[in-house]
Amino acid sequence: MLIKTINLTKTYTIDGDIQTPALRGVDIVIDKGEFVAIAGPSGSGKTSLLNLLGALDTPTSGSIFYEDIDITKIALNALSGFRLTQIGFVFQAYNLINTLTALENVEYIMLLKGVSADIRRKKAVDILARVGLGDYINRFPRHMSGGQQQRVAVARSIAAEPKVVLADEPTANLDSKTAESLIELMKELNAEKGITFIFSTHDKMVMDKAKRLINLHDGKVVS
Amino acid sequence: MIFAFLKIAFRNILRAKRRSLITVSAVGFGLGALIFIWAFVDGAHRQMVENYTSLIAGHIQIHKQGFSQKEQLEMNFSRPEEIIAKLTRLAQVKAVSPRIKAFGLVSSAEHSSIVSIMGIVPQKELSVSRMSDRVKEGKFLEDNKSIVIGERLAKNLNVSLGDKVVIMSQALDGSIASAAYHVNGLLDTGADEIDKGVALITYTAAQELFVMDNKASEIAVRINSAEDARIVSRMIANDLNSPDLEVLAWQDISPMLYQWVEFDNGFIWIIVLVVMIVVAIGILNTVLMGVLERTHEFGILLALGTKRRQVISMVAFESLILGIVGSIAGLGLGCVSSLYYGKAGINLSAFTQALNNFYMDAFIYPRLSFGHVATSLVLVLIISVVVSLYPAYHAANLKPVDAIRSI
Repeated sequence: MLIKTINLTKTYTIDGDIQTPALRGVDIVIDKGEFVAIAGPSGSGKTSLLNLLGALDTPTSGSIFYEDIDITKIALNALSGFRLTQIGFVFQAYNLINTLTALENVEYIMLLKGVSADIRRKKAVDILARVGLGDYINRFPRHMSGGQQQRVAVARSIAAEPKVVLADEPTANLDSKTAESLIELMKELNAEKGITFIFSTHDKMVMDKAKRLINLHDGKVVS
Repeated sequence: MIFAFLKIAFRNILRAKRRSLITVSAVGFGLGALIFIWAFVDGAHRQMVENYTSLIAGHIQIHKQGFSQKEQLEMNFSRPEEIIAKLTRLAQVKAVSPRIKAFGLVSSAEHSSIVSIMGIVPQKELSVSRMSDRVKEGKFLEDNKSIVIGERLAKNLNVSLGDKVVIMSQALDGSIASAAYHVNGLLDTGADEIDKGVALITYTAAQELFVMDNKASEIAVRINSAEDARIVSRMIANDLNSPDLEVLAWQDISPMLYQWVEFDNGFIWIIVLVVMIVVAIGILNTVLMGVLERTHEFGILLALGTKRRQVISMVAFESLILGIVGSIAGLGLGCVSSLYYGKAGINLSAFTQALNNFYMDAFIYPRLSFGHVATSLVLVLIISVVVSLYPAYHAANLKPVDAIRSI
């Protein structure tokens, strides 16, 4: 078992007193090396679940275990270190750092981990070549297409060799051909490196590529 | 890692070129103005002290204890030549001149006036004071029968060059001191107290007039730097080791001038404060705007695992870079303008009368002080980092999930 959630709930408070539940007691178990899609319509709680799994947000109640560690008990300050060493992120809107080149974006995670300049540069070049962007390493995000930016984001997510990569609707902003190619890339990396991939989607083609599907509806796991 | 954060900070600055340029200009102009104003004040102070001490007072004066309070002829000291010999052995001392000082009545055929009579050694006095430079008409003291008086005193007495005036006073032995002198020169110092109230005769003539028996009222000392007057005066007092003598630095001789300089030195800190506020607002505006605009980006950085202190460093670096670039511009602006006007002078001749009352000339020459330039620079750099702490703290404490959602 890599990740386990127990009775996970998340309720947002809007305008001070309106309670909006996003997750209503989610229990899931994800093993090491899985390639899992979290599916469901808009508002089903996919992004809320990924935010909690990614330690980007705190649950209203319930627990999230990474192996034996309950991350809901980790102090807010220490969570940045946890995210850095354990989790890679791919966002729907790519979310690269605009002032850094593709190479520097990939290097950034390793920089935070204290990897020496020579090693991180070599590794970043290799990873970018692996995701098919060997000729684009010195480009800034604004000079790249959406598909290329998302490939850089995938490269960045695996650069620090995390245990899990969480991708929130990674193909939502891409055309179907590019989306398929990106999911194939993630699948290959999952197979090659044994990194667990968890991604949310409501795209049928993307769901079909997953090895396992977790369906959410109104904040509950339905299948 | 620091280099990488510096690189990110530098690129963020370049990303908002216009705003960064405005900030750098504000910092540069603020620092430049501060350096120039400080140099102007330092130059004015130097001129005030130099003019005051070189006009008549000298940097240091030695008297019989209590003379500075009463200025009585009886408060004199013997064997001034022995003291002069001791003083000339000190490396800090440039020149020394003995004086006799007394009050008396100077009369012309029509009018009379009470004045301070000074007996001086013309040749030695040239190295201690610049009274001779202030002779507007005629010449300085040439013989024991000549007298130099202020132009305004001459006007009051209705005398001109070559006319005879008589000094009357009381000699040291109690006899009437009276002698006639011809007006050899007219002083125009700009200082009323001198131009209306001082009469100069030679030291020899004063010895005879006041029956001084080789005693002196004062020894005026010129040293290498007026700024060291207090230190050197203490050194001289220790060296002379005589409780009967008082050794006064110019700050003690003219407490009013000293207090004015000190007041000015205090006042300049208000200007420093105002400039620092302008610089702080300029930098805070840029950095805070930059941080608010990049909330989304800081969310990503935090999500990826960037520590809070690293986010704070990143923002502080941006501010520091703006501060450094602005400071370089300000240093150039302030130093070049100060050096230029330090040579060319700033023409304030429209205020000559008022300036003269403070021993200032019509032209003020700004003077750069390394200490004040360094202080201004360090303050600007410290301010540039300190004001970034609020936006940096704001950025570091964003909740990643909320920050990423913001556009």
